[in-house]
Amino acid sequence: MKRRTTLIAYLFLLPALSLLAVFTFYPVLFGTVLSLFEYDIINPPRYVGLGQFQKLLGDRYFWIALTNSAKYVLVVPVIQLCSILLAVLVNRRLRAIGLFRAAYYIPVITSWPVVGIMWTWMYDQQGVVNWVLRSLAVIDRPISWLSHPTLTLYAVMFVTLWKGLGWYMVIYLAGLQSIPTEYEEAAMIDGASRARVFWHITVPLLRPYVLLASLVSTMAAVKVFEEIYVMTRGGPFFSTYTMFMYIFDEAFQELNMGYAAALAMVLAAVILVFSVINFRFFRRGGLEYY
Amino acid sequence: MTSWPIRAAIATVALVLMMTVTGAAGPQTTLEFWTISLQPFFTDYVNRMISDYQRANPGVQIKWVDVQMQAIEQKLLAAIAGGVPPDVVNLNVEFTVRIAEKGALLDLDAAVPAAERAKYFDGLWAGGRFRGRSYGIPWYIAPPVLFFNSDLFKKAGLDALNPPESEDEMIEAARLIKDRTKDYGFMPLIDGTRLMHRFRENGLPMLSEDGKRAVFNSPAHVAYLERYVDLFKKDYFPDDTLRRGFTGAVERYSAGQLGMLLVGPQFLLRIKESNPEIYAKTFVAPYPMGRGKVIHAGLMALTVPRASKHQQEAVKFALYVTNDENQLEFAKLPGTVIFPSTKKAAADPFFKQKGAGPEWKARSIAADELKFGRDLTVVVSNQSELYKIFREAVESAFFGKMSPKEALDWAVREWNARL
Repeated sequence: MKRRTTLIAYLFLLPALSLLAVFTFYPVLFGTVLSLFEYDIINPPRYVGLGQFQKLLGDRYFWIALTNSAKYVLVVPVIQLCSILLAVLVNRRLRAIGLFRAAYYIPVITSWPVVGIMWTWMYDQQGVVNWVLRSLAVIDRPISWLSHPTLTLYAVMFVTLWKGLGWYMVIYLAGLQSIPTEYEEAAMIDGASRARVFWHITVPLLRPYVLLASLVSTMAAVKVFEEIYVMTRGGPFFSTYTMFMYIFDEAFQELNMGYAAALAMVLAAVILVFSVINFRFFRRGGLEYY
Repeated sequence: MTSWPIRAAIATVALVLMMTVTGAAGPQTTLEFWTISLQPFFTDYVNRMISDYQRANPGVQIKWVDVQMQAIEQKLLAAIAGGVPPDVVNLNVEFTVRIAEKGALLDLDAAVPAAERAKYFDGLWAGGRFRGRSYGIPWYIAPPVLFFNSDLFKKAGLDALNPPESEDEMIEAARLIKDRTKDYGFMPLIDGTRLMHRFRENGLPMLSEDGKRAVFNSPAHVAYLERYVDLFKKDYFPDDTLRRGFTGAVERYSAGQLGMLLVGPQFLLRIKESNPEIYAKTFVAPYPMGRGKVIHAGLMALTVPRASKHQQEAVKFALYVTNDENQLEFAKLPGTVIFPSTKKAAADPFFKQKGAGPEWKARSIAADELKFGRDLTVVVSNQSELYKIFREAVESAFFGKMSPKEALDWAVREWNARL
């Protein structure tokens, strides 16, 4: 009987496992093997051992891309903080609150090409961002947000923040609604201020959600591609040239499939490191912990 | 005993059936033909050309696929890798060289008989040459001209009937337009690797004569770059020039916010579509030439992937598409301003005819420029990497990370280490 149950369980797992095998396990394995070869699609692959990895140590574009990807992770704490605040804000029993929640979620479901083109226009020298800042006398001449070697990366990061906010807000909203109200009420009765309740009750209980959201957003930040591809193509002056952009260039512009695979392996390692850091920080916390 | 009419009917039916079967069993070759952005403006022309070919060559079917410029290289590589390559592909020189370097294109010096090759302009046939072999059959070419907004010219106190004739005069006009109208005068084509063309248009070589050394850091090269860096710092052209190149320039011009535009005459169609008001104010003038008296004119070529299963038929079809009659018909289409790559077609009196409207003016100007036109794409192995280094050097100079001299010196060192 038990054997039969196990068999049935595996049978149910089979469709998902086959999909994972085809679209995840096989590509990971193939990519790992490919990183040991030189392969340009047209000519047969040539084994080079760890040659690709040695090459990337001396490759300036690899270091530029890695630095930019690491800088992009700066978006993670900001996006988490903003989305927690936003979740707190929409976690109220107000009239038409569903409308606000939906409004914050619209950027999440809008496709990257649309968002990218829209923000490219808004960031234009004659776009709405410059118009607002000039009207408020914050700047006296328009800034070319997407053509500035220092500002562009942060301008694109802002778009990532804007688009992702609603997604993390929903995660935190679910988290907030799972916290029983008794804890907060008890603290209030004991005379704790609202801020104290937030920092000492709400945030610790939200920790598992922070872990999940930070993990997902760190991965997304390190792998950032669409916004860069649509808005800057890695420019100006390689200031937004991130690892994924470089991998894309190497694989599909220069046809160095083996080298691109080696870069992707490094990127996977970087993501792993950031994930471990996230786990270290946010492992403790949540309802069950206390 | 069956009657005569019945027997005749049976015989006819049998004959028809036999003919049908024989016809269906005859050799059928399907050639896949890829073009760059010819739809929707030229759909009828290409379809007509294809059906004429199919009629004259029973047994050959042409499947036409039109691809966007930005996507063609990747699509082609994916098709070759996937074992379903097209047979005839339209590419520009940059892509031709890049793909030929991988050994993926057919050597057309070997595949096309000398008598056929002689029909094309020698310079154009040599355009798609890499390591001494040609990989592209020249198709059409369009030397750039100068479009300018006569309204902005007037506001800046410039004479629309006396447009700038040289690069120096164009820069001066751009300064006046910016100073007097607050709109930008021009967006020079110096983004990414286009500065290479500008160098060569000014008689400043990129490589030594044997092609083995980079030489683009002479004092003259440095001075040329310095001049544009200075204009950039003084805000005489917009910041996004380096990022958006001529796409940005066409958009800005079409919006009435740019004084002058340097593009192929075929862009008139696009301006007319997007803003008829600006089109009505547009005047055309010859390309303000640099000191080298040569103009970079992008060449479109037809290539045949080595992986094509019907190479012979593909070459035959590519020669048909680029023959005198077809090229002439293409060039004569209303609203088109392109030029044929064959000597006989280019000599047609049509290119000297005068008519009303900027298209006619652009055509006659561009026809006069043809003798200066050459595809100045720098052909080197390791092209993508070298181009990337050059782009980085140019942007370092514009964004003040290095002086123009330091930037060019660095790029030359990097190139020489890889050439």
